[in-house]
Amino acid sequence: MPATENQPSFLGRISIRRNQIIAMDGNHEQELEDLELFQRHIGDRFAELTSPPDNQDSPFSGESFLSISWLRKLVDVLLCCEAEFKAALIMGRDPSQISKPPLDRLLSDYMERAVKALDICNAVTGGVDSIRECQKLAEIVVSALEQKPIGDGQVKRAKKALSALMSASAIDDKENNHPRYAERTWSFGRRGNNSGGNHKDRTNHGSFRSLSMVVAKNWSAAKQIQAMSSNLAVPRGGESTGLVQPVYIMSNVMVFVMWALVAAIPCQERSGLLTHFQIPKQFGWAHAIIGMQEKIGEEWKKEGEERDEKLEEAAAQVAELAEICQRMEEGLVAFTAADQRGVS
Amino acid sequence: MPGCQSMTSTYEGEQHVIAAAQHILKVLGENKSLTDDFRRVLTELDSHLSAMTIITESKRRGFAEVEEQLKCAERKVRRWDSNPSLIWDSGPTEASEYIQAVNEIHTVMETLGGLSMNDHGRPKELAFRAQCVQQIAMSRLEEELYHILVQHKQSFELKNISFPSRVDFVYDESFVSVEDEIINDTSQRDNSGRESNEYTVDLIDPLLIPDIKSIASVMFASGYDREFCEAFIGNRKDALDEHLSNLEIQKLSIDDVLKLEWDALSCEIKKWVWAVKIIIRVYLASEKRFCNQILGDFGSHDSYCFVEISRASIFYLLNFGEAIAMGPYKPEKLFRFLDMYEVLADLHLDMEGLFSEVANAFVMSEFHDLLRRLGDSASATFLNFRNAIALDSSMHPFPRGEIHHLTRYVMNYIKTLTAYCDTLNVLLKDQDVDDPNPVFETDNGQDICTSAFSPMGCHLRSITSALESNLIRRSKLYKDGSLEHIFLMNNIHYMVQKVKGSELRLFFGDEWIRKHNGKLQQHATSYERATWSFVVSLLRDDGRTSLKERCRRFSNAFDDVYKIQTRWCIPDLHLREDLQISTSQKVIPAYRAFLGINSRNGSDKYIKYTSDDMEKMLLDLFAGSSMSLRNSRSNSHKW
Repeated sequence: MPATENQPSFLGRISIRRNQIIAMDGNHEQELEDLELFQRHIGDRFAELTSPPDNQDSPFSGESFLSISWLRKLVDVLLCCEAEFKAALIMGRDPSQISKPPLDRLLSDYMERAVKALDICNAVTGGVDSIRECQKLAEIVVSALEQKPIGDGQVKRAKKALSALMSASAIDDKENNHPRYAERTWSFGRRGNNSGGNHKDRTNHGSFRSLSMVVAKNWSAAKQIQAMSSNLAVPRGGESTGLVQPVYIMSNVMVFVMWALVAAIPCQERSGLLTHFQIPKQFGWAHAIIGMQEKIGEEWKKEGEERDEKLEEAAAQVAELAEICQRMEEGLVAFTAADQRGVS
Repeated sequence: MPGCQSMTSTYEGEQHVIAAAQHILKVLGENKSLTDDFRRVLTELDSHLSAMTIITESKRRGFAEVEEQLKCAERKVRRWDSNPSLIWDSGPTEASEYIQAVNEIHTVMETLGGLSMNDHGRPKELAFRAQCVQQIAMSRLEEELYHILVQHKQSFELKNISFPSRVDFVYDESFVSVEDEIINDTSQRDNSGRESNEYTVDLIDPLLIPDIKSIASVMFASGYDREFCEAFIGNRKDALDEHLSNLEIQKLSIDDVLKLEWDALSCEIKKWVWAVKIIIRVYLASEKRFCNQILGDFGSHDSYCFVEISRASIFYLLNFGEAIAMGPYKPEKLFRFLDMYEVLADLHLDMEGLFSEVANAFVMSEFHDLLRRLGDSASATFLNFRNAIALDSSMHPFPRGEIHHLTRYVMNYIKTLTAYCDTLNVLLKDQDVDDPNPVFETDNGQDICTSAFSPMGCHLRSITSALESNLIRRSKLYKDGSLEHIFLMNNIHYMVQKVKGSELRLFFGDEWIRKHNGKLQQHATSYERATWSFVVSLLRDDGRTSLKERCRRFSNAFDDVYKIQTRWCIPDLHLREDLQISTSQKVIPAYRAFLGINSRNGSDKYIKYTSDDMEKMLLDLFAGSSMSLRNSRSNSHKW
């Protein structure tokens, strides 16, 4: 994603105690203490995102939940956790530890997840682009409806942009790809343009753009999330020390943040997303994340329906307005005719 | 026409009022007792009323004109409603008539906008009608625009791109050869001031540009700029996507890229290098010019549209580069890293020209990030390569003392690297290197060129020295000390030949070659000593061994050497001959002398070979195939 300015430095928020840097190989107690601290920091950071402090200036204010600035904070939290994780993983550690089982396998799984996370970030960038395109269409609707006097022409203009907006917002979100949108999706779809130029069907050529594929054609955001979490096994008792636990925790944090991004921003193929990833409930650090996940899940369901409803509503209103304009026009004609008769 | 009637009625109503007022004034004026002042006021009022009559009269005529204008324009617009053919396909008259009609509607709307909209009735009704017709026309223009852009898109044949302006040449892999060509096209104007070096082509038939521009003008004038831009961007984005797929660029996720086998990956990278160059240098430069031709007169819309059209594709191309830079630093990737780095470095100015606006700084920062990352990956891979050579080892001696695969690989590898020397010099500038054969300026003024001092020169010498150490380690695996020398001779000779016969010479310097020729000589001497000193010593009369015994021992030793060393291999014929000759020079004179001394003692019956036989037999050595001896004995031997 393009670099964003005014991002608070995540490095400033990491706390690595000095003694953590000092070699701790074999120091079991120290390791446990570090793990404890790592978990607490994760819990705290996510808790802060869920229940924002009562500060008006705070970007975490309640209503901005899932807003772009909130999502930026979320990504920021991921980077903080990751920096702390890396510090714990590498600093003062004997490299041979990392190349031995089970860590070698766990870390290579972790890397694979990180790669998938990058792909998701790229897809989300594409999603942000598509939102911007929707915004352009919405601007057309607004500017048409703001014209004074508002007549049938401007209403038709608004209607056209609105139906393009509706199909654009449904185009690659299969879960929300309502059958009633299907036709519109195609009538505005810009794929499959026949350059032969058969002008008989020229009305089928959309004038507005839709989402372009950012990643491979059959790539699916939901499937990536599924793949990232499928091999995420809770460490058994024997493995719960050393680096196994931090790798597990960090993986969960990463998958969750990606899950949240995909849920919040239109992304290529999201069907079944809600069921693809569950944070295990038994860990202290996970409480805030679980709460957040539930809240996002509700919002997602609600928002999908609400968005559909609102767009439908807007379309209905515009249609109604179109009818009124039509009648007005007819009425005006009748009125002038009567007026004419009255005068003569 | 109801509108007409309505206008007439209002006009008549106004006329009634004015006539009544004038009548009142007239009656008032008849009053004789009025003051002069009052009378003057009445006269003024009267002239006002007369003027009003004239104004409403002209207004009436105006309305009639406006209405007529709208009616006429509407007819022209509506005429196409049910017509399936495209206006712009139907001929220039049709098209310009349509544009004119739309302009007239716009004029009507402006005229009506200038009138008061407070009174419901004629102006408002006309405005609505004009608005309606305008919307129909705008939708139609959007469609027409779309079809012009699709139908008149000029195919961009990779094998045969004809540049629009006078210069006509064929595109092929040797894109570089094209770079010196200068295209003079005065229509290519760009802020960057590099217009003469641009490789722009016409993405759309240039004859259609005035048409597209007229659609743009009329849509912008009518306040439909957003619609125009969205339609334009959508279409051009499609065209770019299509072009990318013509370049066989398939969209891969990072995950996919990292999972590709080397051959497939290498192939994707080569396509990428080619595509990046075409897209950035030719396609996007052309796209930018096209946007400017169409939208240059409408503020910043051209740069907005250009960025919207190109952003997703540019990011895709950059992301692919990132994915490549992420992978492991395997030696074979170095060339691809360098290819990628060089193409991007080369396109740096083109990119600056395309995305110079401050708002596009993020595109440039991604570009710079990738360039830096590829550079880092390339130098890391280069340094890894040296370490890999130093660490490469084996438990088994290399058969027949031949040129080791590693030597061939390394020498060909670094020979190929010389093609990238400028880039590598930049990338390796700050990398420390342990150069075992530093070149000193005092060495030999004229034949030491600057390449030998360059970072690349130091690093290459460091690589070959790692290779030599490795070879020395490998040579110790031979049980036969003589073969150790043959092995090293073969390999060093190969290295020297590679250096002498290529650009590598510039990086290694003549001193390196002299020094390594010296090493070759040393190994030859060591070989002769190790093999032949003993054999020849057997001929010597030590006073205890009988002539017969000495002859027998010598023949046996010679046969052993012959049997063993004919299986050894010196693939280079010159080197083989040199060694055979110098061996002959050591062995044959000693043998002749021996024969000469002992010919009188009746040694003939003990002598197995004449000196001529022996000289011939020495020529069989190092041929790499076991020669059958004249009296073949089974003799087990080891290297």
